Amino acid sequence: MTNNAFSVSTTPKKFKLGQTLRTIVLYGAVTAVSLITIFPIYWMLVSTFQPSKYTLHYPPPLFPQEITFYQFAELFANHPIARWLRNSFLIATMAMLVCLALSVVGAYALSSLRWKGRSLFGLFLLVTQMLPEILILIPIYIIYRRLNLLDSIPSLSLVDAAFALPICIWILKGVFDTVPPEVLDAAVVDGCTEMSVLWRIVLPLSTPGLVAVAVVSFFSAWNEFLFAVILLASAQFQPASVGLTTLKATGFTPVEQYMAAGLIFSILPVLFYLVMQRYIISGLTAGAVKG
Amino acid sequence: MSYKADASGPAGRIKQVKATPQARRRIRWLPYALALPIVLYEVALIVYPIAQGILGSFQQIELASTRAPKWIGLDNYTRMLNDPDFWQVMQTTLIFTALVIIVAIGAGLATALLFNYPFRFRSIARAMLMLPWAFPEVPVVMIFIWILSPQFGVVNILARMIPGVNENPQWLQVPWLAMGWVVLIASWKAFPFYSLVILAALQSVPQEIYEAAKVDGASPLQLFWRITVPSISTTLELLVVLASIFSFKQFTIIYLMTGGGPSGATETIVMRIFNTAFRFYDYSYATALGVAGFIVSLVIAFFFIILQTRRAQENG
Repeated sequence: MTNNAFSVSTTPKKFKLGQTLRTIVLYGAVTAVSLITIFPIYWMLVSTFQPSKYTLHYPPPLFPQEITFYQFAELFANHPIARWLRNSFLIATMAMLVCLALSVVGAYALSSLRWKGRSLFGLFLLVTQMLPEILILIPIYIIYRRLNLLDSIPSLSLVDAAFALPICIWILKGVFDTVPPEVLDAAVVDGCTEMSVLWRIVLPLSTPGLVAVAVVSFFSAWNEFLFAVILLASAQFQPASVGLTTLKATGFTPVEQYMAAGLIFSILPVLFYLVMQRYIISGLTAGAVKG
Repeated sequence: MSYKADASGPAGRIKQVKATPQARRRIRWLPYALALPIVLYEVALIVYPIAQGILGSFQQIELASTRAPKWIGLDNYTRMLNDPDFWQVMQTTLIFTALVIIVAIGAGLATALLFNYPFRFRSIARAMLMLPWAFPEVPVVMIFIWILSPQFGVVNILARMIPGVNENPQWLQVPWLAMGWVVLIASWKAFPFYSLVILAALQSVPQEIYEAAKVDGASPLQLFWRITVPSISTTLELLVVLASIFSFKQFTIIYLMTGGGPSGATETIVMRIFNTAFRFYDYSYATALGVAGFIVSLVIAFFFIILQTRRAQENG
């Protein structure tokens, strides 16, 4: 009898204790994960906005002691960063235009049309998407050298676009797939040609997909390093991804300028990737996983 | 056949629609015409260069001369297979790829399971989780080179807490430390992607299955092994293959962090191809190494395609 009463009174208490413990562990784990993801970025911000007299000190203070902005002006005065960014912008814009034009027709063929070569076409895109860039780098370097195409911004854009194109097609295919086939059938019955179905019905319904394609193709060329460092030899065409690495020696470039350069380069890709992440992830997994 | 004329009257229209339910199959050559520019583009910039690379691996490539390339047969391949460095590089590639898969997918799985619980600020924490993934590689390397600076790097504060560490380690000069950091940085950048994909798979598991199992008296561990793991296993398989492709391709982080050093400790096949071509200007041998890399990536792509097809069939 007493035994029974005892067990009744402890069960809820024990349950509550377990619950509190679980909450503590849960929030502890969340804090740990957040610190691991955020700290390097936090440290970049601290090192950007704090004068290096604080950061060039061991141990460095973990919280900013003073915030300044002059390093941005000095960065632009001391380094050709405006030219780097302009080159990056040109390369990325050209790659984006190529990808937009080609991915619209490619995704339409892959999504809405039924034809014999369709799965083979998809397979071809999957394989090209998976090949390491380094395999193409040496032959393309030799081919470009023979054709006198080295050291030119459009030549680099063409290669960047070739690597972004399969992902762009997968992204857009996923979006085109969401247009109900009945709508397309009805349009054809009403006298639309298949191309005008694409222009008048599928594309207007797929604006977010087009934005995602623009973002992926633009920023994959913006971020690209390997082709840029080899195919563009002269400093005048250097994009920011390559230019930034020339600042590497901290002895020559003050830390706050070095980090400010990295920050300026990252802001746009980070913002756009975060906004469009759902579409980009579906493209990276070739439409298999809905992010 | 004129489709429009047939469909002019209301009666004819209905009849026509019923007769050909796939009314959109009208211009037979259209899909081929649409796919052609893409195939041509990819062939010109990816397939043709690879074919040239394979061809080049049997030739002596002299960039400066206009003479016809000299055929050297299998010389590059016998050299490669007898080169102890080549096998060393393949081993490093395997270790790097395996470690990144384990660390990145392990961390992705752990965070996905964590973020599957409801808690306050979950949406903020999830948005922050994606930051490393959204960052470009070059600035990521800049941040970590600075964090790992033996003189002023902030990571030394943590390291000094370990008993026996009395001075700041030369993080990128010690082979195993350099490898460890390159793996950690590549995983840090990649794991949010895996985490988000796994989280999506977790959230697509119907909650009723868990409820029913709990009613039947299943323990949390049983719930995990009997329900959670089987329902995300296809996703996990797919991600392991994707991760092996991504880490096999990895160049920028390794190149800018260590350049393959110290003394080859982080030199993967991709790094070795780059160094052979653009540091030692041995293009011919570099293309032969490239063929080895090409074969490896084809094998991985093959696995990816098999998994994809199986998944597509499962989804109906």
